[in-house]
Amino acid sequence: MRNIKTRLTSILLTVSVFSSVLHAQNAGKKQTAQIAARMPDFSGFWAIVGGSPSWDPSDPRGTKPDELPMTPWAVARFKAARPPFGAKATFEAVNDPVQKYCDPPGITRLYTYPWQFTLIQTPGVVYMLYEYTGVWRSIALDRGHPKDPDSTWMGDSIGRYEGDTFVIDTIGFNDKTWIDQLGHPHSDALHLIERFRRVEHDTLELSVTFDDPKAYTERFTSRRVFKLSSSPMEETLCSLSEMQAFQDEVMKTTTEPLRK
Amino acid sequence: MKVNRFIAFPVAVGLLVASSPIFAHHGTAGYDMEKTITLNGTITSFNWSNPHCVLHMDVKDSKGVVKDWIIELAPPTLMSRMGWTKASLRPGDAVIAETHPAKNGATTGISGTSAALLKFVANDHALPFR
Repeated sequence: MRNIKTRLTSILLTVSVFSSVLHAQNAGKKQTAQIAARMPDFSGFWAIVGGSPSWDPSDPRGTKPDELPMTPWAVARFKAARPPFGAKATFEAVNDPVQKYCDPPGITRLYTYPWQFTLIQTPGVVYMLYEYTGVWRSIALDRGHPKDPDSTWMGDSIGRYEGDTFVIDTIGFNDKTWIDQLGHPHSDALHLIERFRRVEHDTLELSVTFDDPKAYTERFTSRRVFKLSSSPMEETLCSLSEMQAFQDEVMKTTTEPLRK
Repeated sequence: MKVNRFIAFPVAVGLLVASSPIFAHHGTAGYDMEKTITLNGTITSFNWSNPHCVLHMDVKDSKGVVKDWIIELAPPTLMSRMGWTKASLRPGDAVIAETHPAKNGATTGISGTSAALLKFVANDHALPFR
């Protein structure tokens, strides 16, 4: 009798656990299906329109790079930077981490290059692939940020759909990249919010908000427009050996005092 | 148009103000982007590689001395989208090429960026430009 009771209890427990797992799986599938059903379509290869080296909405050409509201920490870093564009543009003693080390450019700087990117949407994760340097990132749709994320080049990104807009929230950056082509820094406290909206079939709009209290005294928001491209993405890697060979062959010749 | 590869000389053709954004990963600070010159010479090498395609051409200066000009173009992916291939230029090709020269007077120039590709005529055939 006792054996029968134990067996019955065991069976009931197994059924109950199995049923809970099944329920959770069904709920997960339902949630995934719901996300998929309301997922706006961002597919395609997106290429910058016009282009601008700066994220300062009042100075797109970067002619007044000192006007971003930098903290003293950021000012010191910015003064040390020798960037390729804007008022401080130079070919000499370049310390741009992309040119000098082929470092990953960082998310917001990637949008200032004339190369394409694409979004691969799945119900749980969106992957963004960037043509320039071949970097990619994943944007989780089904979790929050970790409490204390490791510092990485691309940060920890989570995303959500708000109607026809894809909102990406990223923290957990290292402080090794520039936000733009002008040498403006960011800190490891950068909180980045990207909002993508496909305003027309061939047009993608991006609004970026920079919130970085260690580097900037105010938040600022700027936007970019991208057009659907008919060209597939191709290999555009940053090879340090090729970069150094180019700098020796072309850039040094163009900057050294002319030998008579 | 007949090109004599042995009678080659740089000719200043005036000012050009770029109408579209100019982008090279390293910027253009080393070049005089408001000046365009035309070079007439012979291709000695054409390297289709990152970060920028680079060609060398022999060009005679006003004294008849042959100089090695180094011309920077856009990166391969962007050149490809503008209609060029790695076979667009070959050593020995007689070329008339526009370029923005270096500010320091070196025999270097930039002829291709993300948005602009200056005119090249190779063996009497115009290459795609914009």
